[in-house]
Amino acid sequence: MKIYDFKLAPNPRRVRIFLAEKGLKVPLEEIDIMKGVNRQEQFLRINPLGGIPVLELDDGRYLAESVAICRYFEELHPEPALFGKGAFERATIEMWNRRMEFALFVPIGMVWMHLHELTRARVKQIPEVGEQQKKVVEMRYRWLDEEFGQRQFIAGDKFSVADITAMVAIDFAKFNNISIEPQFKHLQRWHQAVSSRPSAAA
Amino acid sequence: MKLYDFTLAPSPRRVRIFLAEKGITIPFEQVDIMRNANRTAEFYRMNPLGSLPILELDDGSYLSESVAICRYVEDTHPEPTLFGAGAKEQATVEMWNRRVELSIFTPVGHVWSHLSPVSEGRTKRIKEFGVIERDAAAAGFAMLDRALGDGQFIAGARFSIADITTLCMVDFARTVDITIQTGQKNLARWYAAVSSRRSAKA
Repeated sequence: MKIYDFKLAPNPRRVRIFLAEKGLKVPLEEIDIMKGVNRQEQFLRINPLGGIPVLELDDGRYLAESVAICRYFEELHPEPALFGKGAFERATIEMWNRRMEFALFVPIGMVWMHLHELTRARVKQIPEVGEQQKKVVEMRYRWLDEEFGQRQFIAGDKFSVADITAMVAIDFAKFNNISIEPQFKHLQRWHQAVSSRPSAAA
Repeated sequence: MKLYDFTLAPSPRRVRIFLAEKGITIPFEQVDIMRNANRTAEFYRMNPLGSLPILELDDGSYLSESVAICRYVEDTHPEPTLFGAGAKEQATVEMWNRRVELSIFTPVGHVWSHLSPVSEGRTKRIKEFGVIERDAAAAGFAMLDRALGDGQFIAGARFSIADITTLCMVDFARTVDITIQTGQKNLARWYAAVSSRRSAKA
């Protein structure tokens, strides 16, 4: 078993943090996506979308998509539960994980895609899209600050995969010059708490 | 229990089909999002992101995000399984569900927001972006056709939530003139089979 990884990319980091929270170690193989290694035929046979991370199983099969990989490990190593227990908690964590992905991570990804100098040579940038999404991200931070005023973690009183998604997204936003403004005290408090967990360094 | 729904929108349809496949009937309440019935303070209390569908539970709590609602239904009514059984199958279903959501459904949504006459005036439109996303969606259709090959369903040997997501995506894509191409025989065969299931009318 091994994971195709890239240290600097946000999605593989989600899986590394997840494994660290579970206390699991899986060999990592670096794929330099900035050099386009993931767009070569050999890698596209592993994942037709060219994304990382990808988990290679011992039977030679491959699993792509960060959350699919995390769910595989959750099933094999249920403790500590990071997807929740029982129908309502599991659905609540799924809801928050998806909100963090679609309402937070996707707009941050679009800022990166359309404004960052490192993507300029790889995709057709439309700066107006990046600026529009930057405003969306600022709105989400305001909303998240209100949410974190009500509870310790994003989906409730327990750390979950939704916190991992949110932390990785917010750290990636920082790389795109979007920081948590000082007035968002609850969001700051949560970010400091999750960033000081040993898993955050994974 | 009831579902806040809008018949014409693609996301609530995912949940309606899921319920139909499970043989579950619950009351639906229409929320006319084209007339902004979801942009009220009352609605934001149910879902701060203002989107449909929402499941209201008997204890007065709310679940939003289509897949979170489906997962709740799966956990409370496990048969027939639509998220897969066992670690490998569950992760494979999750992988395909996400590939279709993130790499095809999301760009189709952008095409709708930025190019469709129906969405005119709802958000600031960037036509050039709509055109790029149209190409991304078309590439997604081609990827799906290749990945399906002779296979019966999107994630493997049995019908799953990934088929529901793909069906809703393909039907929604048609409203912005993104269609299965003549040469995409695998996708066409799959579509004919899945859309003739009784649940597709839900």
